Amino acid sequence: MNYADAAMKGAKRNALQVGLLVLVAVVLAACTTTTVDEFRQGETGIESHESVVILGRRQGSSYETREEFVDCVGDKVARGARGIRVIPEKEFIDSMFPWFEPRTAPLRTSDLQTLMEEQLVADKIAEYGIRYIIWLDGQTETTNRAGSISCAVGPGGGGCFGFGSWEDDSNFDARVWDVSSFSNVGTISTDATGQSYVPAVVVPIPLIARVEANACNSLASQLQQFVNGD
Amino acid sequence: MLKNLALLCCTAVLSACGASSLVVSGDYPTPNVGQIPLTLGVYYDEELRNFTYVEYSETGKEEYQIASGQTHIELFDTVLPAMFERVVVLNDLNAATAARVDAVFAPSIEEFQLALPQKTRLDSYEVWVKYNMRLLGPRGDYIADWVMTSYGKTPLATLRSTDAGINDATVGALRDLGSSFALSFGSVPEVREWLAAQQ
Repeated sequence: MNYADAAMKGAKRNALQVGLLVLVAVVLAACTTTTVDEFRQGETGIESHESVVILGRRQGSSYETREEFVDCVGDKVARGARGIRVIPEKEFIDSMFPWFEPRTAPLRTSDLQTLMEEQLVADKIAEYGIRYIIWLDGQTETTNRAGSISCAVGPGGGGCFGFGSWEDDSNFDARVWDVSSFSNVGTISTDATGQSYVPAVVVPIPLIARVEANACNSLASQLQQFVNGD
Repeated sequence: MLKNLALLCCTAVLSACGASSLVVSGDYPTPNVGQIPLTLGVYYDEELRNFTYVEYSETGKEEYQIASGQTHIELFDTVLPAMFERVVVLNDLNAATAARVDAVFAPSIEEFQLALPQKTRLDSYEVWVKYNMRLLGPRGDYIADWVMTSYGKTPLATLRSTDAGINDATVGALRDLGSSFALSFGSVPEVREWLAAQQ
């Protein structure tokens, strides 16, 4: 066997090892379970000139719906062949100031009806062509933290050893309000859970469960179908 | 060269021991509310203009100096022109009659509270502010005097500095003030009576 054959064999073995490692990482990192529930209370459908606005609930004292999650759902709802025109949350809240602030935002559809009696508010909503207001409410909680990782650095180099794990649980509700009828036309709930691991033998390898990202994808896809009336 | 290096080291060491200074800055949207057809004078006293809250550590040392006077003025300068037909900023309360205003608004901060996650063990920065709002006639006579509170919070986030957390929570509290002020101004009993008398 010449030198070139030996090098080729070594490269193949290394590629196989890396491939196996990537496969194990993908399998472990994909340990996320997502459940989506839909409760429909009315007919839906949207015209091409109409739009939706997705807003986060921030009235609770213990948590508030993260802006990043609201943006993620908005981006996904707007994508694809059946994509819907979504007004960005910040732009909408600023242009509707002071009516959609945490302390003043409508909590019930009857509050929305009262709010729409304000001509300035009704005009802005009409200007944006908003057909549905979608309220997102929820959070991601981290529980069951276990294990520990120790790292040390010496003159000859450094490294880590140990194992850490935790569980993430994302719970989000989306309530869809029809602006034309001042009614709640449905609620979509998503619950995603996943376990993340960080084994460390010299180098820590984070195998992170993308719990909130999965919750966002599932919720957005269901919302798109729901609003389109599919 | 060596002297400069030593000076730089001393400055770094001393600045690490001192309080961190923060000047709050934010953008405030114009409120969508009906305009009152009156001319309002607004007087920001020196205390409001230079308002700085000092947060102390558990050992009593100055930890943060938070200057929010200017951002309060920016908020009122945005909110008031949307609420009144004409707004005149007064440098002196005695200038109100000459400025031909219908009333003078003089806000002041009574209390400022800050809750830091490292102290509360909660996942957010919180700011709570108590204000005293005064509405006076052009000659300084009493029209209304009421208390308002505002609250803002911002979640603890990876890669967000403490300064940014405090700034965002304070801006949140100011937005809360702006929204509740714009919506509740006409509901304050004495203000409602005064507005009715102006028609």
